[in-house]
Amino acid sequence: MKKVYKYAVAVAIVVFLGYFSISFENLDDVREQRRKATFNAARYARDFRDNQLVHVLDQAIDVNELIELFNSNMSEAIKRYGKAPGVSRNYAYLIEGRGQILSIGDDFLDVSTRGPQTQSNAKILSGLYIPGNAVRDASGLVDVSTFSDTMKFNEISGEINKIIVKEVIQPFLDKKPQPGDTISFLGATQVAQDATEEKELQLIEVIPIRLELESSL
Amino acid sequence: MVKKFVLLILVILSLALFVFSCKQKKQPQAGDEESKGKKTIAVVVSTLNNPWFVVLGNTAKERAEELGYEATIFDSQNDTAKESDHFENIITGGYVAILFNPTDADGSIANVKKAKEAGLPTFCIDREINANDVAATQILSDNYTGCVELGQYFVGKMNKKGTYVELLGILGDNNTWNRSKGFHSVVDNYPELKMVAQQSAEFDRTKAMEVLESILQANPEIDAVFCGNDAMAMGAYQALAAAGKAEKVMVFGFDGAKDVIDSIQEGKIVATGMQFPKKMARMAAEQADEYIKGKRDFPQKVPVAVELVTQENIDKYTAYGRQSEP
Repeated sequence: MKKVYKYAVAVAIVVFLGYFSISFENLDDVREQRRKATFNAARYARDFRDNQLVHVLDQAIDVNELIELFNSNMSEAIKRYGKAPGVSRNYAYLIEGRGQILSIGDDFLDVSTRGPQTQSNAKILSGLYIPGNAVRDASGLVDVSTFSDTMKFNEISGEINKIIVKEVIQPFLDKKPQPGDTISFLGATQVAQDATEEKELQLIEVIPIRLELESSL
Repeated sequence: MVKKFVLLILVILSLALFVFSCKQKKQPQAGDEESKGKKTIAVVVSTLNNPWFVVLGNTAKERAEELGYEATIFDSQNDTAKESDHFENIITGGYVAILFNPTDADGSIANVKKAKEAGLPTFCIDREINANDVAATQILSDNYTGCVELGQYFVGKMNKKGTYVELLGILGDNNTWNRSKGFHSVVDNYPELKMVAQQSAEFDRTKAMEVLESILQANPEIDAVFCGNDAMAMGAYQALAAAGKAEKVMVFGFDGAKDVIDSIQEGKIVATGMQFPKKMARMAAEQADEYIKGKRDFPQKVPVAVELVTQENIDKYTAYGRQSEP
């Protein structure tokens, strides 16, 4: 009988020690927690927008000049102004311009930078959601090699775009812009290296970094 | 006495069997047979059970051979333990560099570290390891951005509303989440697009078919399936065809594998993200060659852009690349 008690006590000790010394967690949850604990994309994007981006905005090239260079010599445009974080057929550029709003869509403004009688040259994204890496990449400030995993690098773009929607696009829309109004903008665009192979490029899509309503009709 | 004798015989037989099996498992050594005199590069691939990775591994091997090396391919069968065994053998086997497609972003770091400590440079291809100080360089598919573009196309094809299923890849692989998060970074902004199921089919065609068959029983009226790779897209298409829904449900893949490129041409699959396995594998072999010749300043991570392939631009693409590229 005593043996039974001994075994019971031994089993209880093993179970007790086992229960308190081992815990099981989902590996994906642990990885996600570890990643989040060491990197905050929103904080990084805030610092990028407030303290870093401002130092490269003077590199922005005039939108008309850049479109002309695309059509006359794409490789020269890439060499002089294009930026890409790795191997890509798309290059990002910082651009600026001034022009008249021709029309206002759900998610964009069509702007002519060459006068009211011409076609639009810039499609300025103005929706409450913006995709893509144009601002991050055109700035040339974020080096993918400094990140241990590329997800962090990718999350930065999403956070930068959120700041732009909240602090650039929304305040601009609050001013109720109308077709015919004149605006000035500075932003980022991405253009494929073969964009002019089949026909001349006339229109580029711009993610705004600065957007000002200069005059209303 | 008889018992002891039988025991002795058993021990001797076991030892003999052990020695024999060890000999059977001998791994290829650099400089074996006719390759003597040439330096040898190891090509370690996560799995050869998927044509996309076969292309990746074979291209790396071929390019290394063109550059004057011998090359040996090792198949990790998506198993980090096997991958670890390969690294042990490579480190002691006289190889000069490793072209490496990892099985696990975290689990594979130790192998690369071990190789580095032994003086062997590792060049990661396609899949990354979560470290930026152990590999010589990492040439990676820009999965996230590729899926942002695919997500935008998906939203357009769906007219911003409808129900869909997502089939995920291997949960421990960064590519699975980079693709899923890129896709959702776009699609989740449209509240009328509802995901009714999200399940892993581990990048496997057969599993994808089984998983989608099961999902369709609970959700027969879906409008689209987004798959984390092309093998799963083909499996999903098979399941939809068997259920008589292939005409109605749109399937989106990711990779640029031959059967999906053919299926886009035939109008069966809607779109995929073209990764460039041949380009990445060639780059890795060329950088290994440069390293062996003395170059050291490689960027730690080199994202390679993924391109959207649809029924509108399919004429520009072929399996695993662009028509205009080798």
